Amino acid sequence: MRSEGSAASRKHTASVRSQAAAFFVIRALSVFTILILASILSFVLWKGLRYSNLYRSEYMPIEESSPGGMAIVVNVEQDMESLDWTTLYGMFTDEYINWAKIDGSDYDLQPVAVDPVSSEGTAAEAFLFGSPEAGGVPLWGDLVRTAGSVEEALNIVSSTIGAVAVVPAEAVLSRQGVKTVPLRRVVLAVNPGVTEFVENDQIRDLTRSETREVAEGKVGSWKAFNGPDIPVVNLAPPPGSDLDRLLRESGYTVAGEPAADTAGYVRALSETGGAAGYLFGLERNLAGLPALVQSGRDTGWNLTLRYLVEAPRLSGRVGGISTIILNTVFMLILTVLFAAPVGIAAAVYMVEYARQGRLLRILRLGTETLAGIPSILFGLFGFIFFVSVLKFGFGLLSGSLTLTLMILPTIVRTSEEALKSVSRALREGSLALGASKLQTIGKVVIPAAIPGILTGVILAVGRAVGETAALLFTMGSDYQLAKGLFSSSRALASHVYLLFAEGISFDRAFATATVLVVVVLVFNFTARSLIRRMNRNRSA
Amino acid sequence: MQEDKPVTISVKDLDLWYGATRALNKINLDIESRSITALIGPSGCGKSTFLRTLNRMNDLIDGVRIEGSVRYDGRDIYAPETDVIDLRKQVGMVFQKPNPFPMSVYDNIAYGPRVHGIQDRSVLDEIVERSLVQAALLEEVKDRLHKSALGLSGGQQQRLCIARVLAVEPDVVLMDEPTSALDPISTAKIETLLEDLKKRYTIIIVTHNMQQAGRVSDKAAFFLTGDLVEYSTTKDLFFNPKDERTENYISGRFG
Repeated sequence: MRSEGSAASRKHTASVRSQAAAFFVIRALSVFTILILASILSFVLWKGLRYSNLYRSEYMPIEESSPGGMAIVVNVEQDMESLDWTTLYGMFTDEYINWAKIDGSDYDLQPVAVDPVSSEGTAAEAFLFGSPEAGGVPLWGDLVRTAGSVEEALNIVSSTIGAVAVVPAEAVLSRQGVKTVPLRRVVLAVNPGVTEFVENDQIRDLTRSETREVAEGKVGSWKAFNGPDIPVVNLAPPPGSDLDRLLRESGYTVAGEPAADTAGYVRALSETGGAAGYLFGLERNLAGLPALVQSGRDTGWNLTLRYLVEAPRLSGRVGGISTIILNTVFMLILTVLFAAPVGIAAAVYMVEYARQGRLLRILRLGTETLAGIPSILFGLFGFIFFVSVLKFGFGLLSGSLTLTLMILPTIVRTSEEALKSVSRALREGSLALGASKLQTIGKVVIPAAIPGILTGVILAVGRAVGETAALLFTMGSDYQLAKGLFSSSRALASHVYLLFAEGISFDRAFATATVLVVVVLVFNFTARSLIRRMNRNRSA
Repeated sequence: MQEDKPVTISVKDLDLWYGATRALNKINLDIESRSITALIGPSGCGKSTFLRTLNRMNDLIDGVRIEGSVRYDGRDIYAPETDVIDLRKQVGMVFQKPNPFPMSVYDNIAYGPRVHGIQDRSVLDEIVERSLVQAALLEEVKDRLHKSALGLSGGQQQRLCIARVLAVEPDVVLMDEPTSALDPISTAKIETLLEDLKKRYTIIIVTHNMQQAGRVSDKAAFFLTGDLVEYSTTKDLFFNPKDERTENYISGRFG
């Protein structure tokens, strides 16, 4: 008896144990699945919210608001944080014709120079091109507009978005309509031998801290950075010079023997093998010395309010996505307007009127199959039928009609289920009062099924908003605001796809993707609360 | 005295098939106006089916076939020229389970008049009030006329359904076990209501509850397996059954 009892209890323990194990496996799997989904979503959201970009520049992060007593002024509307000396030089030598590559805005560039006959003009010329005694040659570009005086130059800048001028710093102090842009102009110049190729290898990009370590004399040989096997020779700028003062103020320490004067400093840099020393961009240019390139990552906010409210420009490279959001809304409104009435009518027919037989079963199988067909097929059909045969062209109408075809099966099936679930008692109650079948359907059955029907429509719209394949060849890809039904336009999902596919910007693609995710979430939550409110009204 | 009352519905040789199954056999029955007729019998005996033939609700079920004649006010309701909508307006129906529409109390009652073309707000107000008074519900719902009918109790919902039928101003009211889903207090209220309604309407009630049939009805018909076994005044049927099967059922030997 006793042994039997213990055998039974052993069996019992074993089954409890295996149950616990099964439970653990199921739990672990479900937690794992949720973790994967959550990490994908948070990855997209994180990439969308924060950018992390590679930068590559010769200039040290030392910003001067009045470099050499001058100020770089732009119109107050211009959205600029800082400028480096090479860019500034390029602006006055016809390197740029607009601001797109400088700060992403699409204003025309208008460089303004004060006439060099005045002393202010001469100072600006010397600041940009070097004084004649130092070997500077004025190379003013053709775009440059000459102003008679500093006052006139500032007037031009304050009245023209896109204008830029170099004027004495004190002239800008209490000036409305213009703003000063800080300049970065310090590089770590090196002897030309340092950047030469050695056995197919060249000195690599440094990080900012590595650059500082070189200047502080902490690096023995250039070989440490893949360069030639030459010892690093540190040179220091002449004490009391502008450069020396700026470096001290900015907390940069410099190793090496200070030079006697600037000319001697520059000469030493170009003549000493393995030499390295901080230098202003202008002097570096005049001496034709190479500088070390620094690269790394910049991070900041990716999805900003500006991105949401600005119109896209240059294929979405600059600007925002406001027009694309609006186009998406137009597209969804049109799609729902086309698809919902037709889909609900078809469902009503199938539930209420059609003879429940073989034909209806085939019809149902057909709609279910259509719901599972890849959307690119709908895109092909839409392209042939709406765009070519009906000659609607690429545009909102063709796109919405294609989406309508794509989501109709979903709407029909869900509406059908919703209508079927309306109780027989309600129908009979209405019919017994002498209502006709049509009145019963319109006044009792459809209102009772509305929450279910709406759920179906929302699900279908969720599918439509994320669609790209069906839209690329039907709705077109113009990123301007749609001007009408036949106007080619781009929706959010297509924009994400094109930003990726055309290699325009991953950051922007992720920012757009985040907006898309939020749009879908907003849709779902409104639908849910709508349905919940409806149900509450019904039962209270 | 009861023989004086005119006949409203006259059923002759009524047969009904669900597909191949015969559910009613040669039913012959005359319903008197302004009275309550109870249809009793065990489950599946055909009494509900019979009730539903009187306003052609069986039309909604696939495979139902009917022979014989049902005359309402002298006209054959199964004749091709009969307007079913008109018939159902005259012969209203209250179902076993309260089935208010998912809308407000007011809209529930105004539903019938509205589908029959009454749009005038003041007329509708009047109809709603009158129907609620007749269904003895006005006092309980007057503060929540525009709230959902689904918030009412089961008994109130059933009286709302009765009011909804009365709003169409029918002549006959068919009731298919109207109290079977209700508690005793609600049942008592509806039975009192029936006494009152009888003065204006012809009522045919299907019930499982023998006591109820005894309490409220003037005449009673006993159905068994599709046959009308006995039809007489309620008193006679209960105290003087002529058929043995009736007696067995009444005395509780089966059913």
